[in-house]
Amino acid sequence: MQLTEEEEFLLKEKERAKNNRIKNKPIIVITYLMVFIFMLLFGYIIYFMQFKAESIIANSRNIRQDSFADVVERGDIITSDGEVIATSSTNEDGVTTRSYPHGNMFAHLVGYDSYGKAGLELSGNFYMLRSHINIFERIYRQLSEEKNRGDNLITTVNYKLQSAAYNALGVCNGAVVVMEPDSGRILVMVSKPDYDPNNIDGVWEYLKTEEGSESTILLNRATQGRYAPGSTFKVITLLEYIRENPRDYLDYSYECTGNEIFSGVDIHCIGGSVHGTESLKDSLANSCNASFAKIGSTLDYKSYRETAEQLLFNSELPFDGEYVKSSFVINEDSTPDQIPQTAIGQGDTKISPLHNAMIASAIANGGVLMKPYLIQAIENDDGATIKKFSSKSYGELMTSDEADILIDNMKAVADYGSASRYFSGCSYDVAGKTGTAEYDDDGNCNSWFIGFSNPDDPDIVISVIVEDYQIYGVSGAWVAKQIFDAYYQ
Amino acid sequence: MVNLICEVAKYLSLLFMVLYTVKCFVIMSSKDQDENSSNLNKQIVYVFLIHFFNFLILYLRLGQMKILVFYGVQIFVAIFYMIVFHSIYKDSSRLLTNNMAFLLLIGYIILTRLNFSLAVKQFLFATIGLFITSFIPLVIVKWKKLKDMGTVYGIVGIVFLMTVFVPGLGFSNFGSRNWIRIGSLSLQPMEFVKILFVFFVASMLVKANTIKELFINALISAGFMGVLVIEKDLGAAVIFYITYVFLVYVATSRIIFLIGGVSLGVGAVSAAYLLFKDSLFAHVMVRVEAWRDPFAHIDTGGYQVSQSLFAIGTGGYAGSGLTLGKAGSIPVSESDFIFSAICEEMGVIFGLCLILVIVSIFISFVNVAMKCRRPFYKYVAFGFATIYIIQSLLNLGGVTKFIPSTGVTLPLISYGVSSVISTLIIFTIVQGVSIINNKEAAKYEKEKARAITLAADRGGRIPAQRKREGKKQ
Repeated sequence: MQLTEEEEFLLKEKERAKNNRIKNKPIIVITYLMVFIFMLLFGYIIYFMQFKAESIIANSRNIRQDSFADVVERGDIITSDGEVIATSSTNEDGVTTRSYPHGNMFAHLVGYDSYGKAGLELSGNFYMLRSHINIFERIYRQLSEEKNRGDNLITTVNYKLQSAAYNALGVCNGAVVVMEPDSGRILVMVSKPDYDPNNIDGVWEYLKTEEGSESTILLNRATQGRYAPGSTFKVITLLEYIRENPRDYLDYSYECTGNEIFSGVDIHCIGGSVHGTESLKDSLANSCNASFAKIGSTLDYKSYRETAEQLLFNSELPFDGEYVKSSFVINEDSTPDQIPQTAIGQGDTKISPLHNAMIASAIANGGVLMKPYLIQAIENDDGATIKKFSSKSYGELMTSDEADILIDNMKAVADYGSASRYFSGCSYDVAGKTGTAEYDDDGNCNSWFIGFSNPDDPDIVISVIVEDYQIYGVSGAWVAKQIFDAYYQ
Repeated sequence: MVNLICEVAKYLSLLFMVLYTVKCFVIMSSKDQDENSSNLNKQIVYVFLIHFFNFLILYLRLGQMKILVFYGVQIFVAIFYMIVFHSIYKDSSRLLTNNMAFLLLIGYIILTRLNFSLAVKQFLFATIGLFITSFIPLVIVKWKKLKDMGTVYGIVGIVFLMTVFVPGLGFSNFGSRNWIRIGSLSLQPMEFVKILFVFFVASMLVKANTIKELFINALISAGFMGVLVIEKDLGAAVIFYITYVFLVYVATSRIIFLIGGVSLGVGAVSAAYLLFKDSLFAHVMVRVEAWRDPFAHIDTGGYQVSQSLFAIGTGGYAGSGLTLGKAGSIPVSESDFIFSAICEEMGVIFGLCLILVIVSIFISFVNVAMKCRRPFYKYVAFGFATIYIIQSLLNLGGVTKFIPSTGVTLPLISYGVSSVISTLIIFTIVQGVSIINNKEAAKYEKEKARAITLAADRGGRIPAQRKREGKKQ
């Protein structure tokens, strides 16, 4: 049967439509694929805004932060026990001025809000320039072109302990760091010499003068001071000795005659003491230099360095803020004459008070270091919590068995050793280590103390350095005692 | 008072942006002619409202008379173009012209905010482009030989692509040698060659019936990508490659070409990366590193992406408001990073809607390709749909750290003479194919009606019935 022209057209059309459907299948597949990828992108951006953006834009390199200051009045900085240590006031012309009610006491901690910013004013800048006050007040203020009240920053630092530490240091230069070993919360951060943040313009003028150009008052010694660790380093030498002699370290014995020459280096005990026969624990308690130089001479250099680096020497510290790295120079190629000084914390080893606090904190916390932090929460002006910062574990610096041995040895320091004259008869127990670090050959020295109270379940860790002990006679252990007393009062 | 008006205008702009986006999808999913016509009219109103509110903010904040003048000229050109275009091409797709106007006007807003003289330059070239490209649908519809010139597209394309290596003509920018300079005008040949490339592949695929022909086609296509790799223009190489793979898959209907093509691409990229990461692709290495953690490399390769994320995050969902952010501090914010500038000052909601509009434009291109019954035009329309969506993905994904950044523009929004003109060409070619579709559909309806009446007149049956009966016998 013959098809008509019209019928042929329709059949052909049908055929073409069928072909078209076949050809369209891949197009549909690809279209779904692309739409799916774009849905992922869409979801990713929302995820970014909800969960990532806040922490990313808090980056101090984000120049947009400062433009918030045009519409927001910078929030306060408040201690964990409710003392306002930085606050703002805005005059009728919309000019905001910053003031620091406790002046010098919190100088390095709060930092300053001009000249490039420092301290909490820098690290918490973003939070204090955000306003989370309720929407009605915000709109009202926006319409009346008034600045909104920024969120308040609640620091982990405790006013009572900070003032105890500040007063204990008195006229001496030095630094104090106090932290909670099981959380990493920093309770005290003092550095002297200090300055009045209310008068930062004057400070800056002073720094420009010839006398001021030598000054280090802006340096936060707690985190940026590089000190020889002195005898506090014996704790690390001890740890390395235990690691290399896990079975027989208790058999260690040394006959101290006041001095001995190791690889051509004359090591003598402080103040001409002669300690006689000592166990390992006695050596630490007495802070016997000769005994520790002896221990050092037995150590494996490579392993010694590994232990030091495991304790964060020569590496970045888990701390958000300005700090200096600590250094430990012994390695496989070191010569034996470098060892005796290093073993007793002299030589080229350098550490900051913060880092020493972190090591003591890890010991107190069963070997696990909690990341030290300074900001515990952000609250809006009505006191409602906007953001909470929780403690984070950094990792294990030593095993809990090793930490237990160190605690046991450090208790001896306070029980009958070099710190016993400060801590005997106290209502609390202390484990710690004193240190006297000479910084030149004329007998000028700094006094250290690291340690913690209630060694069975440590409450607070203290790291103190007091400069120029030979002049003022203020020791690190004495300063630590004042802080412990304030804490247990 | 200015603050109040600007705040209100910002939120109204966001509102109409959302409405516009919704309409894009409503129009595509509805078949009702009258309803669509009313929705298309509403869309135009929304575009002009978004444009108005944003220029109001710009004028109030910057207080410059020239902004008002510029605003007026833009509105005039937009309205004039739409009226003239639709009266010349009665069968043209209004959704396409609406979206074209939308993208251009959004681009003008943010460019005026970032750099007034660039905005004017963009406007001038776009207007010239609109004029020239308004002839393109005519060419597409009338010129039947278009599909037979595969070799010409191939040769002209590769030669044009290689002009960047001619000393004195070609030059490098942002680490890629993919620019030429003619007088005071800088152009990226790749932007135009990608159009030739789609024509080339479409034309070859229509004719290629054997594996051998497919293979030769693949070799020449690889030539294009080879030149792009040597130019170090990896974003373009990726666009070309994916377009090629997708078109081969559509032409052959065999999923193996899609899977194989994508695997081969991933394999080649990984191998090239591992082999040449320190030499030829050192700049790619930097970008991958910057993508993984831009903040750790903020002073080197991660600077742009860090700034972009700061901008998007700080602006927030509603945006800082035009001129109140620091969009100017994002590197190349008027071109590659324009989406970050939009998000910062006009709001992430605006940006998210923009992404949806871009997806809807892609789908409307795809719809044109699906309706098309002639393979050549089908491939061409789908090829351009692919180019459009992949380029948008590389741009949007790059600036949001979704994927490593490759340095391509956001079509019709980013500043760039080559980019804007080539995208206008792409839109009008698709418009041309759409006109062919509409004409054919009308012709088909007419023929069908005639066939049925003729058959009925003869007392016969329509073929479908006869076929069924034939089977029974």
